[in-house]
Amino acid sequence: MTACESSPDDLYAEAAAVYGAALERLARAYEIDPESRRDLLQEIHIALWRSFAGFDGRCSLRTWVYRVAHNAAASHVTRQRRTKAETLVGLDELADIADQSDSESDADRRHLVERLLELIHRLKPLDRQVMLAYLEGMDAASIAEITGISSRNVATKIHRTKLLLARRFQEGVPDGE
Amino acid sequence: MANEPARNQDVRDVWQNQRGEEVQMSVDAIRLKAGKYRSKIAWRNVREYIGVLFVVGFFGLQSTHTTDLLMRVGSGLIIAGSIYIAWHLYAKGSGRRLPGTLGLSSSIEFHREELVRQRDLVRSVPRWYLGPMIPGLVVLMVAVGRANPGHVKHFGWIFGSYCVFMALVFAGVWWMNTRAARKIQKRIDELDRLRGEAE
Repeated sequence: MTACESSPDDLYAEAAAVYGAALERLARAYEIDPESRRDLLQEIHIALWRSFAGFDGRCSLRTWVYRVAHNAAASHVTRQRRTKAETLVGLDELADIADQSDSESDADRRHLVERLLELIHRLKPLDRQVMLAYLEGMDAASIAEITGISSRNVATKIHRTKLLLARRFQEGVPDGE
Repeated sequence: MANEPARNQDVRDVWQNQRGEEVQMSVDAIRLKAGKYRSKIAWRNVREYIGVLFVVGFFGLQSTHTTDLLMRVGSGLIIAGSIYIAWHLYAKGSGRRLPGTLGLSSSIEFHREELVRQRDLVRSVPRWYLGPMIPGLVVLMVAVGRANPGHVKHFGWIFGSYCVFMALVFAGVWWMNTRAARKIQKRIDELDRLRGEAE
């Protein structure tokens, strides 16, 4: 049975089983408050479940899942920004902003994931999506398919992402992570 | 990705292997949650329109406590204007639920559609937000001016200042929304540049 012949419930069950953990990471990257994060994750799962009624198999299950999840999460961020006056920046601007946790003592105190999340939460939705997709191990073609950004621009953004990560985490990965 | 710097690969490994809360959602559980979620959204929308209910209640009461026909007409027009604004917000504003076709749009398309919707909403503020309130306010001001009992000193000045103040508030709201629409348009142009080479 092909993906588009499966029932929406079956497709949802498969997506939740395969991508459940990735969706949770995605929700963490979009929402810092634990209670709002649980709401967002639930919202993403509901959007995903509803979306499978329209799944026609023209793209892979993974692309579909990430598109739905990113779009639902971006919509959540837009709603939150109406109540929280925070300024989101692009990858190039973030590279110029000093990292307040660059000192060696900070590196001992803070976990790498927390620092990554701090970085991600400051990014504009599309830059955030590119960085998340990169962290999830996707290639440029998959990122372009999910985001709709041209391949050339995706390549540029990935390059900036790599530079940014290399600069911010040059002391390496803490033990015990 | 080939030629990946070792540290970046480490960062990706740490990211992918972070401990989560192990949230499991079965189809039955998600169906139940979807029903609860709909109720939650409905309640959120009700809260957003409490302001409108207040305006309707206030001017509704006022119109029943006056014998002045012009005051009644003015209050009625304010109520009608408020209901129109609430309907417009509901139909095109933030109360909208997420569409079921999220997977058909790439992130950039979805984001652009949202921005275009927001831009059009703020750009048309004079038509759907300021316009509907003007007839009621004008009629009410005329009614108040006509009903001046004569013992209020400098009534003309007070009345004139109020009219100027209201005009300035309206002009300010219009200017802020025009500026917001321009900012949103810049973000739309930025998205168009990003996806331009894909088409």
